[in-house]
Amino acid sequence: MDNDNILRIEGIDKLYPGVHALDNISFDIKRNTIHCLIGENGSGKSTFIKILTGVVNKTRGSIILNGRPFDPKSVKDAKNHGIVALYQELNVVDDLTVEENLTLGREKHRLGMIQKDDSLAQILSILSELDKTIELNMTVGELSTAQKQIIEIVKAVSIDCKVLVMDEPTASLSEEETRKIFEVVRKLKANGMTIIYISHKLSELFEIGDFVTVLRDGKIITTKTVQEIRKECQGNTADACLELVKMMLGRVVIESYMPSKTDYSEKILEVKNLSTDLLRNVSFDLFKGEILGFYGLVGAGKSEVARALFGIDLYSGDISIKGKKARYKRVREALKSGIAMIPEERREDGIFGKLSIKNNIPMMKIKSILKNGIISRPKENKVADDYIRMLSIAARDREQKAAFLSGGNQQKVVISKCLNRESDVLLMDEPTRGIDVGAKLEIHDITRNLANQGKGVIVFSSELPEILHLCDRIVFMNNGRVSATIKNGKNIDNDQIMKIIAEGESKI
Amino acid sequence: MVRILERVDRQKAVLVGVILAVTLAMSILSAKFFKIDNFVNILLQIAPLIIVASAANLLMITGNFDLSVGSVFAFCAIMHAYLTKNVLPIGWSILSCCIFAILWGASNGIMVGVLNVNPFIATMGSMYAARGFAYLIARWDGGANISAGLPPDFSDFGRTNVFGVFPIIIIFLIIAVAVFIFIEKKTVLGRYSYSIGCNRRASRLSGINVPGVLIIIYMIVGLLAGLCGVIQVSRVGSAYPNIGAGMEFDVLLAIFLGGTSMHGGEGSTLGMILGAFIVGLVANGLNLLNVPYFYQEVTKGALLIIAVFADQMLRRRK
Repeated sequence: MDNDNILRIEGIDKLYPGVHALDNISFDIKRNTIHCLIGENGSGKSTFIKILTGVVNKTRGSIILNGRPFDPKSVKDAKNHGIVALYQELNVVDDLTVEENLTLGREKHRLGMIQKDDSLAQILSILSELDKTIELNMTVGELSTAQKQIIEIVKAVSIDCKVLVMDEPTASLSEEETRKIFEVVRKLKANGMTIIYISHKLSELFEIGDFVTVLRDGKIITTKTVQEIRKECQGNTADACLELVKMMLGRVVIESYMPSKTDYSEKILEVKNLSTDLLRNVSFDLFKGEILGFYGLVGAGKSEVARALFGIDLYSGDISIKGKKARYKRVREALKSGIAMIPEERREDGIFGKLSIKNNIPMMKIKSILKNGIISRPKENKVADDYIRMLSIAARDREQKAAFLSGGNQQKVVISKCLNRESDVLLMDEPTRGIDVGAKLEIHDITRNLANQGKGVIVFSSELPEILHLCDRIVFMNNGRVSATIKNGKNIDNDQIMKIIAEGESKI
Repeated sequence: MVRILERVDRQKAVLVGVILAVTLAMSILSAKFFKIDNFVNILLQIAPLIIVASAANLLMITGNFDLSVGSVFAFCAIMHAYLTKNVLPIGWSILSCCIFAILWGASNGIMVGVLNVNPFIATMGSMYAARGFAYLIARWDGGANISAGLPPDFSDFGRTNVFGVFPIIIIFLIIAVAVFIFIEKKTVLGRYSYSIGCNRRASRLSGINVPGVLIIIYMIVGLLAGLCGVIQVSRVGSAYPNIGAGMEFDVLLAIFLGGTSMHGGEGSTLGMILGAFIVGLVANGLNLLNVPYFYQEVTKGALLIIAVFADQMLRRRK
């Protein structure tokens, strides 16, 4: 029996401070199959891969590789046992040739001078089997993303890799390139390799997957063969997608949605045919006093909408704010026309860690603390104290450096910064990611208050409960397009939402 | 009293301690050191350094730096001599040199702020170019330097004593320091400098015109370097194209000793001044002790490494 399973995962637990990333997961991976792992952000996929490839240590449990206990101490150790992971960030050197990339780190040398040898012949045969169009003397920088991936795959195969982990290999590929990668994956399987395939595109797993394991909140929901899933749905891919989406997201409880006090009379923001590299004709309206939600699985294009609206990415299409056409290329211009954004990456894009709370808050509207063109300390202190009180920011005092605050309080500082700008439209990109439950609820209350004060708020979130809890209308996004816009309320039901998400998925 | 003590941070206290220690040591070792004349001398020597460093310090707070200050200093010095000797009255020449200096700064600022060239590369390029022009201008004049044939009142500007006592460079020193302490604490430019150095991406997303701020600061740095060059050449009375060589590193030395981080986001004019005094006192003291020049360079190097290392240790303990 064990001969069938190349990997057997037995009761793995992973605890990070305050987070139970993996909760007693067990499943088998059969030899020479393509085993897909799916789950939303934070479901534990990445943690599992990191444990398998020796990047992090597990807290409990065991891995059996080929019938023997396996506990990788490092990435190198995992590689020596034949387990290699390909990440989205490709690990190739653009300036070197294909040959130099393939032999990187394994050059035979004498006194530091590189010697050619026969192992190259073996690599060459693997390469030509997988992709005949790549030649050894090409510079890797000239290759397409898919071809670069193939270079990495060849590297893995040439060091006798038995289990290849592919983390979203097709995330940034065109359809044609995706085909190419599928072809390579099938060839690898034909040559006896086992592949663990992670993707957010559900349609892909029906195309190449043999097994599917669904993870949610660090737990295994199920492990099935793709055929079983197909059979259960009488071969209907859309229904099968729906089943998977339901498993991935779980049952969403719509508990405490409170409609905003808007009468939908005044359009505050009108977006028509917004397009960028990743967005296709996104159109929607935002009303005064409304909270609009943008929901989609990872990679659906939510953040891209926020970035385009805030002038970070170049876009085509029409944006009008309060009936006035707005056209901007810069963040400054977006701010001027009345849009402010709370960015997704709090540390990188939001706070000024080395500066105090009181220095952080007026940053988007420095005028608010000026008196005769000069920074006025009393004004600055007042602005800071007002927001610290209003949003109940837990800090020693206003002089405390933002870097030393907790995530939730840092986020409140970022929100204060935006509120101080007094914009009409507020974009909140993943406003509560990585924040404890208490602070999360507070931020939801703050958001609702803002809408009730007559601002238009757009919440971009990959947490469906958050969207359903907070938003008056919900725009569902998929693959850079709007797949549906629905009104939130008591009558909304779980199946309807799951269907919308799954339909978008199966269409790709 | 306690409040004052609380507000002076540990890092500046260390600097003051070092200054006192150096003063004490030099006073014991050399009888000529602890004299008013000598301190005036030291102040005159480090005045151009402090003036340029006060702007360069703000630039370092944004996380950027300028290696071309010594060359711009020389370019404007020799340009001033050339113009007054051949083309323009003194007043107009000073004005023209200031404009040239601002243009050097603007070009650095555009390269770093708009074209995103690494400041090391961009300002090293201007460093070579400005120095090259300094030699070239001397050549236009027909020699390796410009010392003969200058107008008789050439030295008046640099040797002016305001109120009959204060050399003009000291007046500029006081103005520059006062202005930059004000900019640092009270103005939008100062606040934006800290924010850019602290987090450039967040600054952009807060609507701050990052390239604009960088260009302005580079222009001020250029202006002050050029103006100091003009005053210096006027004080000395002759212009050599190799004047101000190595000044960029003395400026950086003062800034780093003063506790401004290379990554930006923190630092102060006051700290930089203390740093400059350490540089000046040590150089002067070693001179009085007749220590050969190359040992002085070794001392500077050791000083820098020890200072930055000590600073890191202090920070880590926090």
